[in-house]
Amino acid sequence: MSTEAPTTSEAAAPAPGEAAIKKTLGIGFWICIGWLLVMVFVAVFATRLPIPDPKFNFIKPGQAGPSKGPSAAHWFGTDKDARDVFARTMYGARVSLTVGFIAIAFGMFVGGTLGILAGFFRGWIDRIFSFMFLVLLSFPSLVLAIMLTALLDRKLFTISMILGVLAVAPVGRLARATTMQYADREFVIAARSLGAKNKRIIVRELLPNVAIPMSALALLGMAVAIVAEGGLAFLGLSVERSITWGGMIQLGSDSSKTLQNQPWIAFFPIGVLFLTVFALNFAGDRVRTYFDVKEISL
Amino acid sequence: MAITLLFAVSALTFGAMNVLGDPLFNILGPIARDTSNPKSVKLIEKAKNDYNLDKPLPIRYGLWVSGFVRGDMGVQFSTDGQPPVTELLKERIPRTVTLLILGQLIAVLVSIPWALISASRADKFVDRLSTATTFMLVALPGFALAIILKYVFAIRLGWFPLTYRALDPLQTRLFQMLLPGFVIGLPAAAIYQRLLRTDLITTLQEDFILMARSKGVSKSRILFKHALRPSMFSFITVVGLTTGALIGGSIVVETVFRIPGIGSTLVEAVLRHDFPVVLAIVMIVATAFVLINLLIDVVYTIIDPRVHR
Repeated sequence: MSTEAPTTSEAAAPAPGEAAIKKTLGIGFWICIGWLLVMVFVAVFATRLPIPDPKFNFIKPGQAGPSKGPSAAHWFGTDKDARDVFARTMYGARVSLTVGFIAIAFGMFVGGTLGILAGFFRGWIDRIFSFMFLVLLSFPSLVLAIMLTALLDRKLFTISMILGVLAVAPVGRLARATTMQYADREFVIAARSLGAKNKRIIVRELLPNVAIPMSALALLGMAVAIVAEGGLAFLGLSVERSITWGGMIQLGSDSSKTLQNQPWIAFFPIGVLFLTVFALNFAGDRVRTYFDVKEISL
Repeated sequence: MAITLLFAVSALTFGAMNVLGDPLFNILGPIARDTSNPKSVKLIEKAKNDYNLDKPLPIRYGLWVSGFVRGDMGVQFSTDGQPPVTELLKERIPRTVTLLILGQLIAVLVSIPWALISASRADKFVDRLSTATTFMLVALPGFALAIILKYVFAIRLGWFPLTYRALDPLQTRLFQMLLPGFVIGLPAAAIYQRLLRTDLITTLQEDFILMARSKGVSKSRILFKHALRPSMFSFITVVGLTTGALIGGSIVVETVFRIPGIGSTLVEAVLRHDFPVVLAIVMIVATAFVLINLLIDVVYTIIDPRVHR
């Protein structure tokens, strides 16, 4: 069994006609970035925006049934406890984006460092780190995440770290492959013959080149982390006592009756989650084609 | 290599469970912390003895591995009078395996014609539409797709049953698994389609395709007989690699459709801190995953004469 991931030829052969539009990121990319910025803005300023209190029960005396469909007062309707689904969806962005960001930042830092070191020094360092990546990749990621949440607590930071550990191996492999690709290039040899130390070569010569494909992976990896957090929350294993998209979707679908009669409870968070993940995937994919990165496989 | 990997995986899982978790607390609950009461001290001693918790970690690991290899995965912790873990899993694994095979089957059967259609019309409207569809399918988390399909096909249209019932006859249960199969199969199909499509487009530009075309071979025959075969190699690899993602997907799908497979069992075991069950399931899944990838490597060398080294 080789330690090298079989490289898929997905990005290798651009479809005919793609070459012409290759060197712009395209309008779709900026729309996606726009959506992501809106979500970040909402997540940061949720308490200051004129949206209803997500934990308040909007029950008027004499009304039958707490859950109401979308209306002018409650854009996404209200849930079983008569709480505003729109407000909860907006607040839910906080956990998802925080977890996604911390997870991929951790994965980038640890995986990137290990990968660059493995690719630069090769030999036994490479063998140890590559084996570590292989062990991490031997667990289906959701299974590993569930196992770790079972053992640790369910605080925001812990969940982020758990998902960060999942990102280490894919990021590390990409960093290793890219470093190896550049380590023998002329500019590295030139720097070395000018007397540059290893540390300087890694930081000044290799890191900027490795960072480019990593930026595409950062967007795609954040999408993966947000989906994983959603999955954990859906199973009741994510951050405790907070509003999460996965938790809201679970609430709206735990019985078929709820799903049948109040579909808005589950479907609005699904829509927002979908748009966010789609935006990250699409933007990541555009960055990848823009820089012509081939090695990413998630 | 695979043996070393499995050893590392199992040692890591076992170690994490025992060091980060607290098996004694999982067995006894709050009594485990109550060391001042002589009655609970007695219980603690008994539990330690019963579950080998008084022995050092490497010995416990050895005992557990030798049991695991012989098919004895210990007893369930938190529920009294429940069958041993092996019995529990014997009942649940076939359901998950059926679901996974069904999912892969759907994924392969959907993706091959889909890829052939879009590759033969590369960059035309149909192809662009299908690329957009794959993007959407990949961006849709498994649990979201599960709920959407359940809502549309089971609740609104009523074509499929809402949940799985373990006591129904075999063909009814297979039918009940069809919709869950689509939930894990469709995103995989999107991944396969993308890969196969780009591969086919590259193959279709090769000289031997031009040769076949100039000899007057029909378009569909070129696609099926000449282009598909050389494109199958990387396809098979990705089918293997995707199995891990499918296992993750089946956890969620089993929960949504109430299928008592190992995925939903894992979640239940985690929620009630049943450590031997979690350990057994994680190990079985990781072992299966490693072995599948090994198998794919072997199959790959057999079918593709170009990789003989």
